[in-house]
Amino acid sequence: MDSASSGQPEFDYLFKLLLIGDSGVGKSSLLLRFTSDSFEDLSPTIGVDFKVKIVNIGGKRLKLAIWDTAGQERFRTLTSSYYRGAQGVIMVYDVTRRDTFTNLSDIWAKEIELYSTNQDCIKMLVGNKVDKEGERAVTKKEGIDFAREYGCLFLECSAKTRVNVEQCFEELVLKILETPSLCAEGSSGLKKNIFKQKPPQADASTSSCC
Amino acid sequence: MASSSNAKHKRIAEEEEEEEEEEEETLEEIEGFDDFTLASSWERFISEIEAICRVWMVDGPKNLVEKGAECLGSQKKLYKVKSEMKHGTKLYSIEYYFCVSNKGKASFWDDDLHDLQLSFGVSDFMVIAPLSASGVVLDAPESTKLLSSVAIALTNCGSNWPAFVPVHDPSRKAYIGIQNLGLIFTRRFDADRIGSQVPIRLMHLEGLYELFISKFALYSVDFSASFFKVQFAMKLTYRSPPYESDDEINSVDPEVNESKGDIVSPNHIKTQWDDDCPWTEWYSAEDPIRGFELVAIWSGRMFESSLEMAELENASSFDAEKWLLCPIIFPFMIDDSTWMFVGFASQIRLLVSALDMSFEAQFLDDFVSVENPASDNSKSSTAIPPPTVLDRVLKEIFHDGGHNSHLVERDNKHSRAIKGAPLESLFAQFCLHSLWFGGCNIRAIASLWIEFVREVRWCWEESQPLPKMPSDSTIDLSACLIHQKLQMLAICIEKKNLSHDTHNSTESVDHTPSGKKVDAEADPFKEPVKNENGSYLRSYCHQDSEPSTSSSFKHHDYSVRSPDLQKVDQVRKGSAGVVGSMMLLHSYQKMHAPYTQDAPIMTEDMHEERLHAVEVFGDAFSFSGQLERDILSSDMSAFKAANPDAVFEDFIRWHSPGDWENDDTDGCAGDGNNWPPRGKLSQRMSEHGNLWRQIWNDSPPLPVLEQKSLLDPIREGEKILHYLETLKPHQLLEQMVCTAFRASADILNQTMYGDFKPMKTRFNQLYITLASTLKPLQANHLREKAELIGDLRRLCLVFEHIEKLLIFAASIHRKLLDVPRLSEAMFSDYFNFYLPKMGTSLESICYDQEFKTKQLVMMHERDAVAILFPPPTANQSWRKVLSMGNLLNGHEPILREIIFSINDRVEDSHYGSSIPMATTEEIQTHRMYIQGTSNDLWVALSVTSWD
Repeated sequence: MDSASSGQPEFDYLFKLLLIGDSGVGKSSLLLRFTSDSFEDLSPTIGVDFKVKIVNIGGKRLKLAIWDTAGQERFRTLTSSYYRGAQGVIMVYDVTRRDTFTNLSDIWAKEIELYSTNQDCIKMLVGNKVDKEGERAVTKKEGIDFAREYGCLFLECSAKTRVNVEQCFEELVLKILETPSLCAEGSSGLKKNIFKQKPPQADASTSSCC
Repeated sequence: MASSSNAKHKRIAEEEEEEEEEEEETLEEIEGFDDFTLASSWERFISEIEAICRVWMVDGPKNLVEKGAECLGSQKKLYKVKSEMKHGTKLYSIEYYFCVSNKGKASFWDDDLHDLQLSFGVSDFMVIAPLSASGVVLDAPESTKLLSSVAIALTNCGSNWPAFVPVHDPSRKAYIGIQNLGLIFTRRFDADRIGSQVPIRLMHLEGLYELFISKFALYSVDFSASFFKVQFAMKLTYRSPPYESDDEINSVDPEVNESKGDIVSPNHIKTQWDDDCPWTEWYSAEDPIRGFELVAIWSGRMFESSLEMAELENASSFDAEKWLLCPIIFPFMIDDSTWMFVGFASQIRLLVSALDMSFEAQFLDDFVSVENPASDNSKSSTAIPPPTVLDRVLKEIFHDGGHNSHLVERDNKHSRAIKGAPLESLFAQFCLHSLWFGGCNIRAIASLWIEFVREVRWCWEESQPLPKMPSDSTIDLSACLIHQKLQMLAICIEKKNLSHDTHNSTESVDHTPSGKKVDAEADPFKEPVKNENGSYLRSYCHQDSEPSTSSSFKHHDYSVRSPDLQKVDQVRKGSAGVVGSMMLLHSYQKMHAPYTQDAPIMTEDMHEERLHAVEVFGDAFSFSGQLERDILSSDMSAFKAANPDAVFEDFIRWHSPGDWENDDTDGCAGDGNNWPPRGKLSQRMSEHGNLWRQIWNDSPPLPVLEQKSLLDPIREGEKILHYLETLKPHQLLEQMVCTAFRASADILNQTMYGDFKPMKTRFNQLYITLASTLKPLQANHLREKAELIGDLRRLCLVFEHIEKLLIFAASIHRKLLDVPRLSEAMFSDYFNFYLPKMGTSLESICYDQEFKTKQLVMMHERDAVAILFPPPTANQSWRKVLSMGNLLNGHEPILREIIFSINDRVEDSHYGSSIPMATTEEIQTHRMYIQGTSNDLWVALSVTSWD
């Protein structure tokens, strides 16, 4: 992984993904489950956390830089940095806490609107903690309706039981791969700077057929 | 095929002709012995014409169009095919004109009609003409012979196409023509022109009527008396006087109106038509609309005597059945080959060239100091304007105020997508001024920039607020970096000033983090609302102000104390007010929200740097941003200071309510009811070694006033100036190009042009195109330079199209304010006319056709349209000999077109008896088209005869 970040394009694409949502909905747990397939009680994220994972999806070798933000309001003033250049944004809520769901439309969807620099950026809605089925406060239908309204992908998962965690990231990445403009941004150029890569025009057209 | 090569030799060596001829001709000569049907060259010529006509006839219009017939006219109805042939030593061209969608005869006055169609009332026709400079047949025998050849050829094919031959001098536009109509009838055509000295009789309708009658009434004596049912239609064209914004200016040059042919007179003084348009601050555009042409049509009347005609001449043009209006477009709006449009687009194009050159040097000073050897262009294109001009421009850029009315930035989403500076901001003004500064060459820009930065530094050193930079303590990351830096500098200047002030009052504090913090403690309950710009504190208050039931107050009288009762909290510092009804866990006190430091502001590059740092260190260990940790620590210190008795749990309840689990089932409302509040930290927060608790333990109680600021204004300010002073030329130019595009678009977008939907759509599309094309410009990774510059040049062209269209829209809108329907319709006609030009290719498409689409004026709109024709002043009309009648507000038509026709029953003919076809069909026996003014008359006559 270290060698990957040192410059050789050992991957076809580099995508920047962002996890957002209220504090305590399990963003960090989701990320931990995905990157190291483990689950533990994590202390609340201060500000931001960051993980890299290299995966093979859709026949492509991808480097995913996943940014895990803190849900606390106080840190939100800084979040605009993280939205910049993200190809995918995952909005997480806790299916057992209704307020985390309502905040999506009140706060998080607006934040994306405000800070995302990428118009084509793929949004995904994830309802976490489905293992606590008994305490469920948000139905799947509501989740689907929200996703439809905001044009997001939607999945319910559990970081604890690892249900749907892999799929969640996989689907998001597949969708990004389907979007030529995002593909173009993420395609591994020669430059070291990963944040603002722009491939030559020709590359963009070839990648559009993927 | 052979003809062209033959032509070369003909004159040089006539005698060698036979040898030089190509084989076909030789063959013909040899075979000519046998072929008696092709005895003479004339006969060969006829058969050649015949062959061509047959091919065309067999193909039919549809195939001919597919085979690439040339389309004429804007409505794509008329097409033309062409062929060439030789007769003797002369080359002739033969052209066949045909209509594709022939939905009956629409009207005589269809704009799209070919001259010959209009003149002779034909639809498909042929023209045969010699291929010479004049294109006409000069001598009579030749023309007759030519016409006969065609007539014979056409008869042989069984075609009834009319054929025309241009004769005499080209300026006379004279034609003769013939058409076979079945077996018996022949139509003959004749047209000629009187270019000057039109007999007075023929200036008037009466005389023209008599002219027509004379063509068939055999005895001239009886025209006035006899009864002829003559069909009559008339079209009058009026042209509005050239636009004057002020009447008194008319007197300056009375000649102007006299010369009607050319409306544009360059030396004519006038106040600018676009004085109140948004772009006038920067340039003045030519009025694209030179005036209007109004066409009044009288159609299909029957006249029986010349007296009636005389009456008609006095009729007002308001009596006409139809009014059509058409703007006269400044021809150069469309044709860019001869005239350079000067506007934002042209200036930005220069800016792009400057960008192209900017890669040559490392520093901007290099362009100013030494004459750059690479730039060997003419001196004028690299000149730096004199210091006086520079001073003046600089003053304008930095002049604050006066613009306040515009300061309300239209928050256009499209505009924000372009990474430039907002229109009224300092950098945008810099960019706009440099567009017009010394021809916008790189050296002029560099010198202006250097002075600009010097001025900015002066503001910084003197702690003067930056003009045109409202410091609302946020940084617009969607703007270009220079604008962000200037925003940040404005904030730093403000903070620097504040820290100076604070030094004067309290010596202990080093930098106050934000605005009016100084008096924060004096009035803690009022301040936060307007002080903390972030919604942060306020929203906290809201969040926890659950409907605080009156019961809670009953329980705790203590909590109902008035805000100013602060004696209990001697040590409390930096409180921004109580948080709803929340109580501390371990002491019977209300929880106070502290003032917190503003989150440090960062420009784009700082954000990136930070992210990069995270990337580099990120995965090695569980990372949390140092900055966020500092903020958390600062918040904790402030919270401790505001709530001296608080514990970690209290902080969490305030800061991260999700991590506090109430024992009560009814949630937060329980907070006030029972003291102490029962509950516990969430699992994750209460774990051993929790980072949050560590930070809590390490944070001393300090109100924000005493804390070290998260932002050091002096350091950051100096960094910004360093950035500005060492900016690479291409970095500056890249941002200038983006900002110039954005600002110009925003300026143009303020134009009032009514409700022209296609314009609005196009403009929004322009924004989108700009945003997407300019996107790679400021990316760290530059594309191939040549490609980039090419793209930008194309973008300038797109911009120019929109700019021109917009100017047209503004012009037509203001001229037809009272008839919005009409102006809208005209705009959309023009838009559709212009549309094919709007490609992005760099080479300009030249239009040879003029914009002629006319709009029907509704009855109720006529008054408003007549205003376009103000009655001429005494000055304008004194010399005019009013001769034609049918005046419109005192203006006489610039063109009068009349069609007379008379129909006759075939059987009623003079030779009446012997017509085999049992037709009682009426045919047009005579038709005359007259076009002219008082000193120019063109008459075309077609006569059907049966001989």
